[in-house]
Amino acid sequence: MEKPKVAFFDFACCEGCQLQVANIGEGLLDVLGSIDVVEFREVMSEKWDKELDVAIIEGSITNPHAVERIKQIRERAKVLIAYGSCATIGGVNGMKNNFSFDDIRKYVYGDSYQFFPTEITKAVHQAVKVDYFVNGCPIYIPEFITVLKAVLQGIPYDVPDYPVCVECKLNENVCMYDREVTCLGTVTKAGCNSWCINNGNICYGCRGMVSNPNEKGAQDVLTKYKIPMDLVLNKMNMYNKCREIF
Amino acid sequence: MYVILGKERFNDFISRLSEMRRLFAPAVLKGYNNFAFEKVTSGKEIAIKYIPTILPPKKFFIPQRETLLEFNIAQGIDAEAVVEYEPMTIFGVHTCDLAGIQCLNMVFSERPKDYNYLTRGSKIVLIGLECNEYCDEYASCNLVNATFPCGGYDLFFTDLGDYFVIHVNTRSGDEIIKEIGSFEKVDTSHINELEKLREKKRKVFGNEVPIEGKHIPELFDRSFGASVWKDLEERCLACGNCTNVCPTCYCFDIRDEVELNLESGIRYRVWYSCQLEPFAKVAGGINFRKERSARQKHRYYRKFRYPVDRFTRFFCTGCGRCTRTCMAGISLKETLNDLIKESES
Repeated sequence: MEKPKVAFFDFACCEGCQLQVANIGEGLLDVLGSIDVVEFREVMSEKWDKELDVAIIEGSITNPHAVERIKQIRERAKVLIAYGSCATIGGVNGMKNNFSFDDIRKYVYGDSYQFFPTEITKAVHQAVKVDYFVNGCPIYIPEFITVLKAVLQGIPYDVPDYPVCVECKLNENVCMYDREVTCLGTVTKAGCNSWCINNGNICYGCRGMVSNPNEKGAQDVLTKYKIPMDLVLNKMNMYNKCREIF
Repeated sequence: MYVILGKERFNDFISRLSEMRRLFAPAVLKGYNNFAFEKVTSGKEIAIKYIPTILPPKKFFIPQRETLLEFNIAQGIDAEAVVEYEPMTIFGVHTCDLAGIQCLNMVFSERPKDYNYLTRGSKIVLIGLECNEYCDEYASCNLVNATFPCGGYDLFFTDLGDYFVIHVNTRSGDEIIKEIGSFEKVDTSHINELEKLREKKRKVFGNEVPIEGKHIPELFDRSFGASVWKDLEERCLACGNCTNVCPTCYCFDIRDEVELNLESGIRYRVWYSCQLEPFAKVAGGINFRKERSARQKHRYYRKFRYPVDRFTRFFCTGCGRCTRTCMAGISLKETLNDLIKESES
C-alpha cells in the first residue's frame, strides 16, 4: 500500500503544534514510516501543490486571504485534520473578536493599517469542513498519534465529550478548588490526561467546552466558591471566544 | 487467631512487608486533607489516621487501562488473551473499602467470570485497618453495615494505643505473621480492650440517615418518579467524579488500538462512567440517558436498589467519597434524606 501523502499547513498561530510534532522523538520514526510528508514548513523546504491524502491544519482563519487559502487546501485534500486550539476552537486569536477591528488594526499596523484587511477570527471548521480534530494548546502527542491511526484506518475519532475532571480524578490530583484556585477543567473537554493539572497548573480551557455544559450548575459552583462570574468569563475568553460564532 | 504488634515495631514491620512484595498504603504526601494509596517502603510514609483516599483501592483490582488482548492482523487474524497482574500488598484498607472489594469480587465472579480481575485479585494481599472514629460528616458506613470488619481481608489491624491487635484471617495473612515474626501472643486483656473499643464504636456510629437499611429498597421502589432527581439535573456537572471515586463502580469501555503499521495492536479496557454525556450514546447519535437527572438516578439505583436483587447487598459502602468529591455539593446523605421526605409527603 502506498503511503498517504500528508502536508502540514499553518494559519494564524504560534507554530507550537508543529514543534510538538517535530519533537515527538523516537515515535516520529514510526509516524514517518506510515505517512509520506510532502510539505511541512517548519522542518523541510519542499512544497506541494497537487492532490493530498491528508492536510493537517494549524492556526485560525483571521483574514480574507486565509479564507481563500483554506478553501483551496480543502479542495485538494481527501481528509482534513484541524490541530491545536487555534485551528479547532479559534484559540487565543479569538480574543480579537472582543474589539473593534479598526482599533485592532491601527494598534498592530499603525498608519498603514488599511493595507491589512482582517475579519472575525474563526476556527477551521467555521470556514471549511473538518474531518478530525486534535484539540489543545499545544496538542497532546499521544492524542495526535491516536488520531493519525484513526485516519490511516479510515475510522472516526471522537474527542472525549466530558470534562477534564474525569482524567484529573484518575490521576488523583488534589482538586484546584480545594486549593482555592479557579480551574476550567469542570467545563473543558478531556483528552489531554489533565496534563496541566498534573504539573501543578490550572486548566485554561484550551480544548474547548464540552458540548452540553451545565451552565446553571457551573454558576452555582462559582457562587459556592465565591468566584466572580466575570473573572471566569475572562478566563474562558482566552481560548473560547470563537464559541459564540455559529 | 489474634496477635499483637507493638507500635515501636511498626516501622520495622512495614519495611519487612515492603521487601516481600510491592507495598501500597495511604500516604501523607497529598496535602489539603487528600490521601492516596501510594507505594511505600517505610512506616513513616503511611498515614495511619486518614480519611478515604481520592481513589479507592479498586485502582489495584481494576487498572485504569488494562490490556485484554494482543493481536496481529498482518496475515489473517492472530489474537492472544493477556492477563496482567503483579503480586502486591495493600496496607491500611478501611472497612468501607474492604466492603467495596467484596462487591467487586461478586461482580467479576459472575459468569462469564472475569479472569483478568480474578487472577489479579488472587495476587493481592489485603491488610485492613479499623476506623476508631468517624472520618468525617460525609461517611454513612453504619447505614450500610460497613463500620465493623466483616471479612474480605488477610490481616486486620486495630490501633489500641501502644499496640495494634491483629486478626489473622487467611493463610496468606498467617504466612506474613510467621515470616516477619515481630508479633506477640494476644492475651485476654488485649481482647477486652478490643471489645471495649467496639462497644464504644457501637455508641458513636449510628444510622446516618433516618431509615433502617431493610426499608431502603422499598424507598427506592417508591421514588422512581421523585422530584429529587430533577433537582440533581440542575446541579450535576456530569464530571463523573462520583463514579470514578466510588469503590463499587466498575463500568469500563473496551477499545482497540493498532500500531501505526496497521499490522499489530491491542484490545484494552479503561474506566468509564454512566455520568458522562457519551456513555449511553448509541449508533445514530441517540442517547438513552441524555438528562443528567436520569444518569444521577441510575447511579443511586445501582447502589441501593438493583444490587439488592442481584447480590442481596447494597453497593454503597458508606465511604462518603462521592459527596466529598462533588463540586456541585450533591450529597448522598442529603439525597437519601430528601427521598425519605418526599416519600412521606
